[in-house]
Amino acid sequence: MAGRIVVVTSGKGGVGKTTTVANLGTTLAKKKYNVVLIDTDIGLRNLDVVMGLENRIVYNLVDIIEGNCRKEQAMIRDRKLSNLCMIPAAQTREKNSITEEQMKALCVELSSEFDYVIIDCPAGIEQGFKNAIAGADTAVVVTTPEVSAIRDADRVIGLLEAALVKKINLIINRLNARMVKKGDMMSTEDIIALLSVPLLGVVPESEDVVVSTNRGVPLVHDRSSKAGAAFRSMAARLNGESIPLDGDSQGLFGRMKRFIWN
Amino acid sequence: MLGILRRIWGDGASGQVARKRMQFVLMHDRIDITPDVMEAVKNDIIQVLSRYMEIEGGSVKVDLEQGKDFMALISNVQVKRVFRNSKNSD
Ligand SMILES: Nc1ncnc2c1ncn2[C@@H]1O[C@H](COP(=O)(O)OP(=O)(O)OP(=O)(O)O)[C@@H](O)[C@H]1O
Ligand SMILES: [Mg+2]
Repeated sequence: MAGRIVVVTSGKGGVGKTTTVANLGTTLAKKKYNVVLIDTDIGLRNLDVVMGLENRIVYNLVDIIEGNCRKEQAMIRDRKLSNLCMIPAAQTREKNSITEEQMKALCVELSSEFDYVIIDCPAGIEQGFKNAIAGADTAVVVTTPEVSAIRDADRVIGLLEAALVKKINLIINRLNARMVKKGDMMSTEDIIALLSVPLLGVVPESEDVVVSTNRGVPLVHDRSSKAGAAFRSMAARLNGESIPLDGDSQGLFGRMKRFIWN
Repeated sequence: MLGILRRIWGDGASGQVARKRMQFVLMHDRIDITPDVMEAVKNDIIQVLSRYMEIEGGSVKVDLEQGKDFMALISNVQVKRVFRNSKNSD
């Protein structure tokens, strides 16, 4: 059976796509699935540093597509998990040095060898975005509880629907429970009502994210981090496991039950 | 400081303000009605109504509003006078 092809996207930059890819991928690999992560943010690659694999890069995504190397040569194995690897983006090339057809073909090829192909999408809705979503059967849209991020997420959801991506789910990142309580941040319920997409999970605003990025060790390795736990639950839900949403960063989901992941 | 501003405007917490603004923005983004089109809709409404009544042209407002599970076009028109033979005025 072919593996799943999941794109993590957002529209707006800096909302947590790369962090999400690293943590979902690492969790699924810890569950013994064969996972490959692809950084499609050509010119602004970052997944390598978030995964702590930056000093092993020889070849990249564009090299695979142009036939400069076999794809195995560009795949960098994770330091801890042998069933997890990453294909880095090219750092000194143009976004349009690959096409949607080439990207799709690569994803399909990889999905015959891996259980999960997880794609880190660049910000924006131009060619890089189109390439990143070309082969995907599932999209994870990341937003923060801010007006500009939500608006861009809505736009991206429209484009994903138009591109006939089968499954679209939402991650709300950087939720500040204290501000929500004070009424100074849109709540999870507010955001879901606005975007009407099934919720994969909520990640709290957390210093742990910065610390783990500094170290180059994905947060899900840290058993004590709440944000890490949120990423682990989301990976499990993505994998079809039914994990109640209440276990995450926010207690009161009440009326939101009908959106619960299934 | 923010608290003072809030009391002056009586706006409620900023989260709710954001929610209401987003409802509006997303609806416009989704239906993709540009301000030009809204202006054209408004002018057509004025034109049609003017066959039956005298209206205050500058007072006409046309807005799209999001209800709980519907979208409404709400127009507010100030009527000065209704024509006596309005039914035949076509
Ligand atoms: N839950 C969180 N709490 C605190 N900081 C976070 C959280 N999630 C992400 N960040 C920080 O936000 C920044 C952007 O994250 P990330 O690189 O994952 O976003 P991105 O969407 O991939 O950005 P880009 O669009 O530039 O590719 C990073 O510095 C990261 O450490
Ligand atoms: Mg990124």
